[in-house]
Amino acid sequence: MEEFQPHSDEMIFNADEAHNIVKECIEDVLGKADYNHNKVNQWTAAIVEQSLTHLVKLGKTYKYIVTCAVMQRSGAGLHTASSCFWDTTTDGTCTVRWENRTMNCIVNVFAVAIIL
Amino acid sequence: MGARPLPSPTGRRWGNGSTGGGSQPPDAPPRPPAPAKSTEEAKPPLLPSRRSSILSTLTAPFASRRSSLCAAPGGKRPAAGPWMLHSRVSFSGLPLFQPIQEIRYENTYKVQPDEGCKFNACRVQRVLESALAGSLGNTAYSAQSGAQLAHGLADLLRSRAKEVVPPRYKLVCHVLLGQQGQQSLLVASRALWDPQSDSFASATFFNTSLFAVATVHGLYFE
Repeated sequence: MEEFQPHSDEMIFNADEAHNIVKECIEDVLGKADYNHNKVNQWTAAIVEQSLTHLVKLGKTYKYIVTCAVMQRSGAGLHTASSCFWDTTTDGTCTVRWENRTMNCIVNVFAVAIIL
Repeated sequence: MGARPLPSPTGRRWGNGSTGGGSQPPDAPPRPPAPAKSTEEAKPPLLPSRRSSILSTLTAPFASRRSSLCAAPGGKRPAAGPWMLHSRVSFSGLPLFQPIQEIRYENTYKVQPDEGCKFNACRVQRVLESALAGSLGNTAYSAQSGAQLAHGLADLLRSRAKEVVPPRYKLVCHVLLGQQGQQSLLVASRALWDPQSDSFASATFFNTSLFAVATVHGLYFE
């Protein structure tokens, strides 16, 4: 069936795999910590870097964008939305929401395929 | 009936492509779709017109279709050309159009965007700022409308960014909309991309009741 595929490897972004990877990274970094304004910078950087490293280890020919938002839980509402202009057959996204008693964390992974 | 010779050459042709159509040439004329077509034609000789009307859906010229049918069956069938593009024909006589062929593009041998065609982060940021200010303005945050607002904003920003971004760029637009309270929020992003061709732009907007953070990442796609 290969002659019907437009690209040399038919790739589909595996959102479940990415979800698991990111969830592990968040648990690893934030774990049982409480919101601390001084450490937030470090945390977001660590989450994002670790997620990216693990995603790259999957070895797929994708460009990744990982965004992380950490917010203190104070009862305020937060909405996120994203709109993407890409190839829906090969590209995909995955969002992971995590929270504990004092903070909310939302991580988005966008994977954009490259043709080699 | 004068129609009899007609089904056989055409039936033979149909038999080539169809899975089982060749066995039913005599049945081909009275198939339901055919009368509908012939009513459009409204010609007294029913079967020849039906044949021509069916085959005219193949976008072949009407006159050439008719003349090919009147030609000697053993002769060349130039009108088979357009028909043969659709090599599968159902035994109702109507061609089964093949799925649209994938267009294979030739290699452009480009790995970088052209000169002057890079993602202009400053320009996109200005566009984002003006779009956010324009659409949010004095809007107040509300839990019910917040989700729709964020969604609409993401689409709006993506289309605005698309206007200013050069072609061959894939865009990812991300919007965070929140209620202005006493909390703090930090948004971080990191990407694995080609730093020479890919970039991002972000803008923030806030008023007394809400805040919005918008980010647009542009990725070159060769």
